[in-house]
Amino acid sequence: MLSVLIWSPIIAAGIIGILPKYISARQIRLVSLVVSGLILLWNLFLLTKFDIHLPGIQLEEYLPWNETLGLNYQIGVDGLSISMLVLNTLLTWIAIYSSNEETRRPRLFYSLILLISGGVNGAFLAQNLLLFFLFYELELIPFYLLISIWGGEKRAYAGIKFLIYTAISGALILATFLGIVWLSGSHSFALSTVSTSNLTPTLQLILLTGIIVAFGIKIPLIPFHTWLPDAYVEASSPVAILLGGVLAKLGTYGLLRFGIALFPQAWETFAPTLAIWGAISAIYGAVVAIAQKDIKRMVAYSSIGHMGYILLAVAASTPLALVGAVTQMFSHGVILAILFHLVGLVELKVGTRELAKLNGLMSPIRGLPLVSALLVLSGMASAGIPGLVGFIAEFIVFQGTFSVFPIPTLLCVASSGLTAVYFVILLNNTCFGKLDNNLAYYPQVVWAEKVPALILALVIIFFGIQPTWLIRWTETTTTAIVAAIPTPEKTVTSQIALRP
Amino acid sequence: MVLISEKPATKLPPSTHEFAEVIHRLEAGGSMLPDTPENLMQIIGIYKAYAVPMDFYWRDLLYIAERVFLQPFSFFKYFLPQEYLDLRNHYAGDDADIRIWRGPATAHPELLAFMEKGRTTKMPILFHHLFHDRINMEFAEACMRAMLWHRQMYAPVNQFDAYLDSEEYKNNAHRAIAAYCKKNPIMLGLYKLFPDMFLEQCRMMSYYSNLGLFWEVMAPVFFEMSDIYNEGGFKGVPDAMNFIVNGIFAIAGRPIYHHVYIDGECYEVIPKSKGFTWLYEAALPYVEAVFYRTAPFRGTKSYNAQVGQVPNDQKDFHYGILYADVFPVGTAGIPPTLLMQDMLHFLPQYLKDYYQQYCRGEDDILIQLGITFQRSMYNVTSAVIQALRTALLYPLDDPNPRHLQANRDFFEMQLNRFTRADYNMRDAARLRQIQRQDYR
Repeated sequence: MLSVLIWSPIIAAGIIGILPKYISARQIRLVSLVVSGLILLWNLFLLTKFDIHLPGIQLEEYLPWNETLGLNYQIGVDGLSISMLVLNTLLTWIAIYSSNEETRRPRLFYSLILLISGGVNGAFLAQNLLLFFLFYELELIPFYLLISIWGGEKRAYAGIKFLIYTAISGALILATFLGIVWLSGSHSFALSTVSTSNLTPTLQLILLTGIIVAFGIKIPLIPFHTWLPDAYVEASSPVAILLGGVLAKLGTYGLLRFGIALFPQAWETFAPTLAIWGAISAIYGAVVAIAQKDIKRMVAYSSIGHMGYILLAVAASTPLALVGAVTQMFSHGVILAILFHLVGLVELKVGTRELAKLNGLMSPIRGLPLVSALLVLSGMASAGIPGLVGFIAEFIVFQGTFSVFPIPTLLCVASSGLTAVYFVILLNNTCFGKLDNNLAYYPQVVWAEKVPALILALVIIFFGIQPTWLIRWTETTTTAIVAAIPTPEKTVTSQIALRP
Repeated sequence: MVLISEKPATKLPPSTHEFAEVIHRLEAGGSMLPDTPENLMQIIGIYKAYAVPMDFYWRDLLYIAERVFLQPFSFFKYFLPQEYLDLRNHYAGDDADIRIWRGPATAHPELLAFMEKGRTTKMPILFHHLFHDRINMEFAEACMRAMLWHRQMYAPVNQFDAYLDSEEYKNNAHRAIAAYCKKNPIMLGLYKLFPDMFLEQCRMMSYYSNLGLFWEVMAPVFFEMSDIYNEGGFKGVPDAMNFIVNGIFAIAGRPIYHHVYIDGECYEVIPKSKGFTWLYEAALPYVEAVFYRTAPFRGTKSYNAQVGQVPNDQKDFHYGILYADVFPVGTAGIPPTLLMQDMLHFLPQYLKDYYQQYCRGEDDILIQLGITFQRSMYNVTSAVIQALRTALLYPLDDPNPRHLQANRDFFEMQLNRFTRADYNMRDAARLRQIQRQDYR
């Protein structure tokens, strides 16, 4: 059942790639949209098969592949990955929907997007280290091509930079996985059989450092973040949605899945450093975002800040913090996707992303009123305004981390305040004020362009009002992960706060 | 009839004024609005769309000034009685004093048809009123208030306003107010307590009458222009402007007065015998107040008087239609005001088709027609400037260079109002924008 999520987009990508030339870009987009829509529906159907009371891997599928290498096709889903799968399939559909109907080289474009979707699903589902690595690496070239071919002015530079950073990340992951298996004396790369408990603390720390740096590049954490602003800004909106909404989550998911789960003891040693690292990332992202003059770059830096919260939560590794981490991953993905979509629309209609040139888009007749209104909503969600999913995620993170790391938590709370600052700057300059008489003859935003943002806005509002429906998928799994960490004082932290 | 020569034998060197091109056009007998077929089509179309609600405005303004008068609960002042719908316009119909429009003297047929059904369906007038499915008199009242707020314009030429402070006016007003309050002891008591308040209300009613009498002339002028255009009669914007100039001179002496009817008796608060005339006591103050100083368009920008964004002197106000901005939110601009709504009901088909082609078509038609209205009012202002030049200065083809220089100085002085940098007046004036066809 789960394999459908991996292979149907990959097969569809292959078929779309060889479609005859007389099929128009519009038709190819439609095919991709239908395929990704069906995958999303299948994913939603799988939710009905998922038992939220079971902490372990469910719906497992196993096929022997190369047993000599310890590489088997072993996939399954648990509370960590189930919401990420939904996020990925949803954002893939949104990304395809938000793409230009007349995209150049449509076969390649939609093939790459579907390939990425299948690969990301595979990475989230993989229960074998090598299989994870294969799917993880599957993203690399498609994303590079998507940035380099359909990107902005500096797309070549951004694409190469992205390629180099993520290739290093991949190499580090492979090296660390090999190290884990070889040094622990395991005969398989199966996640269920790998254990690091027999390794010395020093070796554990070294291997964990590899994991943290490798996934830290993907998240990205400062100082490994410099690929992000260029890639996010130069990528077209659909690609930026996938980059920010999905790809970055592979990094935090990797930390949860392979950091905490494989190195519970070493994690304890690293946790304070990671918490401070997360807080610094959050503050840095927010402060640099404030200084930006380009709204897409501002949103890109905001992403760095918000990923810092996830790192803090992962570092604290209390049940509530881990629930917060997963919730924040989902929330961040959705909010970033809507922000990139809206920023893309603003750029498409107005022709600029420069704060100094944008103004008065809220004008109901000649501006982009709905886009502006949704931009305000997204800004509020990102700044953690109550009633929206961003608030729920941040609140759970801070509630879960304060008892363990009060100072980093307070720094992150302050950074949340700074988020409001740069979004006020963005919204005040973009949406409010006076439309320029000489410039403001913008094309109208058509209904089809509004649909992705409206869907994402509904998700943001719905889970903001009814967070339990988002959180309940994760709670059992995160509690089990925390229970495996040998620090008894943390396991008593307030999971009850979420329950009546 | 005043004829403005289109090819004056100008002997002056080119103007160095910032708006030299416009100056030269005015000197050639043209308008501030460039002479293009598109501009002509736009302004004539909007004149027609403006004239139909204006036909309601002037009737209702007179109704309020003459009949409603001091009614404290004037809930039904916009419910125009048949008597006023049938009121004969003095400049239309077979029995006109001066026939400007060839059509009927009673309310315009399109207006009557609209009042019957509105844009919804036939229902009691109260529902049409509550749903704003009607002619929005609020706009007309706001124009009147703009004139009232900017009193003492054109003094000492404008004697109407000075008269409102005279003892004679106060006595006339007192008689009318006393007659009105005679059967109402509460009103009478209030009048004894607050006589100045009642007097001020009476002054406002006099401005109602003033504006009503002004628009009674303008409506048939615009109707006739539309008819002439439909017959292919206007060759360009200057023709349209000259028609207005000629209209101004033809009607200039029309008396401005204020009569009040109480219990069948007429009280002459401002008698016709005072000799107040249409041009100096109504037209010029109206143009000054509404075109330059304070157009009743609901901008939402808050001006900050503390930082000098609001002029100290009312004569420096620059919130009139000639300065109005395109964009409604966050600006002091031409929003989809009540006037725009009113004009929308009566747009000629060719103008509707024209708007469909540009910007957002149907969705921003109110803004587009607002800009057209601004263009058309620049043309009306040009007519007023040319009329003043004709009245006060010299012909455009005058052979004397000193006279031509005087004309130029006059034109430059008029256009200097759009070049002042203080209070951002320079940026606010839309004279630059209307020179471009793509300003919509």
